[in-house]
Amino acid sequence: MSKKKGDREAVMYAILAIASFFVFWWFITTFTAAKQTTPGPIEVIQLLIKSLFEPIGNYTIFGHLMVSLRRVAVGFSVATILGIIFGIAMGTSDWARAIIKPIFELLRPIPPIAWIPIVILFFGIGELPKYVITGIGAFTNVTLNAYTAAENVDPELIGAAKMLGTDEKGIFFRVILPSCTPQIFAGMQVALSTSWMAVLAAEMVGAQEGCGWLILRGNDTLNIALVMVGMIVVGVVGFLLATIMRMAERRFCLWNRMGD
Amino acid sequence: MNEYMQMKRKKAIKFGIVSAISLIVFFSIWYICTAVLELKPDYILPSPVQVLEAFIEKLSKKAPDGATLFGHIGASLQVALSGYLLGAIIGVPLGVAMAWFRKVDLFVTPLFDLIRPVPTIAWIPLMILWFGIGLGAKAAIIFVSAFVPCVINSYSGIKQTKQVHLWVAQTFGASKRDMLFTVALPTAMPLIFTGLRISLGTAWMTLCAAEMLASNKGLGYMIQLNRTLGRADLIIVGMLTIGFVGTLLTGILNILEKRFVKGGRRG
Amino acid sequence: MEQNGRLKPIISLRDVGKIFYSEHKTNEVVKGMNLDVSENEFVVLFGPGQCGKTTMINLIAGLELPTSGEVDVDGKKVTGPGPDRGVVYQRTSLFPFCTVMGNVEFGPKSRGIDKKTRRETAQYFIDLVGLQGFENTYPNRLSGGMRQRVGIARAYANNPKVMLMDEPFGHLDAQTRYMMEAELEKIWQKEKRTVVFVTNNSEEAVYLADRIIILTNTPTHIKEEVKVDLPRPRKYSDQAFLKIRRQIEDICESTR
Repeated sequence: MSKKKGDREAVMYAILAIASFFVFWWFITTFTAAKQTTPGPIEVIQLLIKSLFEPIGNYTIFGHLMVSLRRVAVGFSVATILGIIFGIAMGTSDWARAIIKPIFELLRPIPPIAWIPIVILFFGIGELPKYVITGIGAFTNVTLNAYTAAENVDPELIGAAKMLGTDEKGIFFRVILPSCTPQIFAGMQVALSTSWMAVLAAEMVGAQEGCGWLILRGNDTLNIALVMVGMIVVGVVGFLLATIMRMAERRFCLWNRMGD
Repeated sequence: MNEYMQMKRKKAIKFGIVSAISLIVFFSIWYICTAVLELKPDYILPSPVQVLEAFIEKLSKKAPDGATLFGHIGASLQVALSGYLLGAIIGVPLGVAMAWFRKVDLFVTPLFDLIRPVPTIAWIPLMILWFGIGLGAKAAIIFVSAFVPCVINSYSGIKQTKQVHLWVAQTFGASKRDMLFTVALPTAMPLIFTGLRISLGTAWMTLCAAEMLASNKGLGYMIQLNRTLGRADLIIVGMLTIGFVGTLLTGILNILEKRFVKGGRRG
Repeated sequence: MEQNGRLKPIISLRDVGKIFYSEHKTNEVVKGMNLDVSENEFVVLFGPGQCGKTTMINLIAGLELPTSGEVDVDGKKVTGPGPDRGVVYQRTSLFPFCTVMGNVEFGPKSRGIDKKTRRETAQYFIDLVGLQGFENTYPNRLSGGMRQRVGIARAYANNPKVMLMDEPFGHLDAQTRYMMEAELEKIWQKEKRTVVFVTNNSEEAVYLADRIIILTNTPTHIKEEVKVDLPRPRKYSDQAFLKIRRQIEDICESTR
């Protein structure tokens, strides 16, 4: 089968699949008992368009999105920088590993969402606790990846650099750090989606704005269409974030891609 | 015992001591900040001693959140394992089918890609609507969270099968079905287990969220309720328990992986 | 090579021994090794599979230190790695995150040479190994033979006194290997350096060497030396060539 024909077939099947999904959704919410609880696709899309212009709570849906994105951006970036520093320190220095690792291992298994209650008690309900929670979501993944990457830098590369007369500083910045970037990026990808999930949870538990609040608000007011609008927005943005991360990885790790 | 071993052992002892000191310093700072300097009131940050006392008390006492620690652990495990097993039982075969049968791939993958980016936490209200506040809703949420990584990893695991290996199987007269079971599945095993491990982690995390939002028992409920009661000691007990049980479950999975994955694990 | 004895050796190993310690056993890899290499000499270390050839290279490179005896390069005791010795490895240890240019100028950059000069040097050696046009390519896009060319250029770019090559063509297919041997000889004729070259391929040894050192199994010491006085470039099928080849193979065989 030619590639082009295969592609066309794939697109046809994709359209068919998605169309049947919407038809199924429309059917059960129009002709079965599910219509009493679950809104149909038309209703949801109408609300989605309406909420782009009319505020829900304090903001339009776009405003809520911006609030959530800002929380993720702050928490994620601070945690990524800290994670890279801690991870590489543990991977390259026996001392740093001996000091940091036991505490890290003690706290690592606690999922970021389980931190929410104590963080809220500690920092109240302002912006800071949201940064902390999204940050915890990102920190563990980035640290762990940076740590394993730094620990597994090919010793032959370090040897080669030494033979070429590179000093300790050069080896760190020109060999160890670039060697770790692909795995750090892999960690950042997971970290970003964890952060995105953590911010929703944080906003569901205690906030007056943001996508998580929006979904919970739909739940509390029995406005299920609003819940679905929230899910769609959150899904689309999550997808875009993942795509941006992948593009960034491609840009920075050109050398690591196998021939295509 | 040669020189090398002696050096290695010396180093291990030295850094073991450093690690121990590090933990002692960590707990000492915590203790000094809370019990001695009282920087934060007890209901926000209790001292480690208070946390230990709360832990021991919680083993047998039901107040204030309605169940002993083991009661909460049991409730959480029941939800988590039922949802997780369901996710694995449906997710792994679906991922395999998507990768192995072209038609299934073409039809199901777009649907899956449509659902996948929605974080599982966002499903919570919908699941409560459909299944009520019982075991069902929570298990359904865990199911979604476990299902997604299982599908993704089984799918890419099967896709990793090398054409050469299939050719070899073909020359031995293997049917398409034989090839799936003798070539593709063993190739995919390491990644399938990676999927099982990832979904265990996400399932356990999602569980906390589900129990915090809609439950009256379980570890997530315990930490959420104690926040409103201002019992930070019990929150910390709950957090550490969540972490500990999560580690335990991962450990069990690792043992299973060692038994079932042949030819070493990748990645 | 009649001047061998008279010139001051640039590499000299005196009673060198190396013992590795691992979990369960001690492993004596090199024992009582004495070797002198004079300036611009091409010495091949030839020996069976698992003998301590790589260890020998690492000892001269300073990546390993001897447990007894002393290694001197250019009159100074080797105490660690340094840019006066260039290494070309068996596995391509190119920096995967650097382009060809980045790899070749890595050494000069480490020694703080200004950008213009180091670019010129690197370009000269890239041209010398025949990789002009690939300056901005990453190693993952290069074939095995091309990677080894980059490795050779990278070692040369630092202008080392001594080149150490650890089975650099061991992983190449036969045809590429012949090509690379001819290429290396050409490069070496143009840019003479002292070379210590490790191989377990007798044909390669005779083709390249001024002098072949035949090593024994571990604990490795020198079994015998064979000088190769054939005119360069040599022909693989010459009677004289084949004779030396058979001779070193016989010697090597008897060490097992």
